[in-house]
Amino acid sequence: MPTTQHPDGDLTFDGSRPWMLNPQVSLRPESFGALAYHFGTRRLSFLKSRTLLAVVEGLGDQPTGHDACRAAGVTAAEFGAYERALATLARSGMICERQAS
Amino acid sequence: MTLATAPTADAPAPAPVGRLIDQFERGLDAPICLTWELTYACNLACVHCLSSSGRRDPNELTTSECKAIIDEFERMQIFYVNIGGGEPTVRSDFWELVEYATDHHVGVKFSTNGSRITAEVATRLAASDYVDVQVSLDGATAPVNDAVRGAGSYATAITAMGRLADAGFVGFKLSVVVTRENIDQLDAFKALADRHGAQLRLTRLRPSGRGADVWDELHPTAGQQRVLYDWLVSHGEDVLTGDSFFHLAGYGDPLPGLNLCGAGRVVCLVDPVGDVYACPFAIHDQFLAGNVRSPGGFAEVWRHSDLFTELRRPQSAGACGSCGHYDACRGGCMAAKFFTGLPLDGPDPECVLGHGEHSLAVRGDADPPKPSLDHSRRPRRVAVAMLPRRPDRACDESPLAGSGRDLRRD
Amino acid sequence: MTVTTTEHEATARDDQTHDPAPAGAAAIHDDGLVEEDLLVEDVSIDGMCGVY
Repeated sequence: MPTTQHPDGDLTFDGSRPWMLNPQVSLRPESFGALAYHFGTRRLSFLKSRTLLAVVEGLGDQPTGHDACRAAGVTAAEFGAYERALATLARSGMICERQAS
Repeated sequence: MTLATAPTADAPAPAPVGRLIDQFERGLDAPICLTWELTYACNLACVHCLSSSGRRDPNELTTSECKAIIDEFERMQIFYVNIGGGEPTVRSDFWELVEYATDHHVGVKFSTNGSRITAEVATRLAASDYVDVQVSLDGATAPVNDAVRGAGSYATAITAMGRLADAGFVGFKLSVVVTRENIDQLDAFKALADRHGAQLRLTRLRPSGRGADVWDELHPTAGQQRVLYDWLVSHGEDVLTGDSFFHLAGYGDPLPGLNLCGAGRVVCLVDPVGDVYACPFAIHDQFLAGNVRSPGGFAEVWRHSDLFTELRRPQSAGACGSCGHYDACRGGCMAAKFFTGLPLDGPDPECVLGHGEHSLAVRGDADPPKPSLDHSRRPRRVAVAMLPRRPDRACDESPLAGSGRDLRRD
Repeated sequence: MTVTTTEHEATARDDQTHDPAPAGAAAIHDDGLVEEDLLVEDVSIDGMCGVY
């Protein structure tokens, strides 16, 4: 079966690039944040903050990943943590870079 | 990198979310996944069948009722369903329903004895990202398997596995119920799965359905449980367990999984007549939450039934409160306790510290609860001689042929 | 549950949970008991009891 996982295990989230939710992912808001299920890999990710949900939901509309973080209200102190969380989501294929239009 | 905007002010700091299992124990607005038994009909008569299947129920959900439920699953964003039965592929609308589900963003994994997996079917399945297959087998050799699942069932399953492998379906599941009789075959099961490019899945035998009849003879001994635990730890995430061995966490490190009873909290069962139970191992009125044919359908049952509301309340450790392992094992499996007549707020019958054995010894002679439904095709066996036997006649269609207990003559 | 993350959140807020993780510690592969400051956890979809 085709894999949509990112091939680079050491990927860090390059927030200066445009990103998007992987079309094979179902993102379900929850009171604690969200659940994300990848239909291709059958992995389930547990997003533990509503802000992270807002970031991920906004990725496709924002010019860059960092813009999505800012738009969702991520504070300066939190930025590193959110970048690492997004890197995790990129590694598991939940989010992927989109072609700049 | 510099921030162009100031951080948002005035938003209250959200409380840290804490452990995943604490969230799940309180229940979710929709299941993450669920088991959907599509029919009680089955061409086999496995001695331990958790749903006591065999005969179709005259009141089973129609094709359009099934599609309406799938529509509900889609609205609730249930990620996938594990379709079982009975043997789900014997329903004439099975493939139509699988396609309907995947067209409506509901992933499908189905459990099968393999009898309808033709080469053509295998090819179609291999091409779909949204369908997974779980082939059931309970012995790595025919004698061990067929003693439980019937003459010829080993061959059927192996043939199906071969067709899936030949069709390029990598990673389908080989699902095994661990018993006293197959505990020595764990390495052989792993090799069998590896040979077919499949992933091995070991699950726990519960005294549910017909399983109650053979529980005493088939459930692993205490020593065998330890062997199983060590084997699972050594194989890590290579081997799936459906989280069904969380009661073994009392031995030490928990196994991979949530180590959580998901019944009524993150998962449940929808049965062939639309009844919603907490879990497929608990088909009994005590664990019946409602029916999808009632007003409000499945969503109403999931969100507002008395049973599920109760299950989502914090559970007390009860008699297990004084045991230092409760945090790890959570008191074990509700269904295992219920069908062995043990109280739900006490130890699991297979408690690794032996507390369950003690409870069983002192519980008295009253019969444990019986399953509420029985769709078995012939009278249930009371006792089973589990020594492997060769079939009397190679072509005998009866799953009980060769067992020395052909109940057709009773 | 596969805990694949090893990052930590440098939280600006007091950790109110009962099990705070020390800063800089690696995530432990202790399924079900994960450091509260991780924003993402991965869970095996086969890892919840009550499904076939």
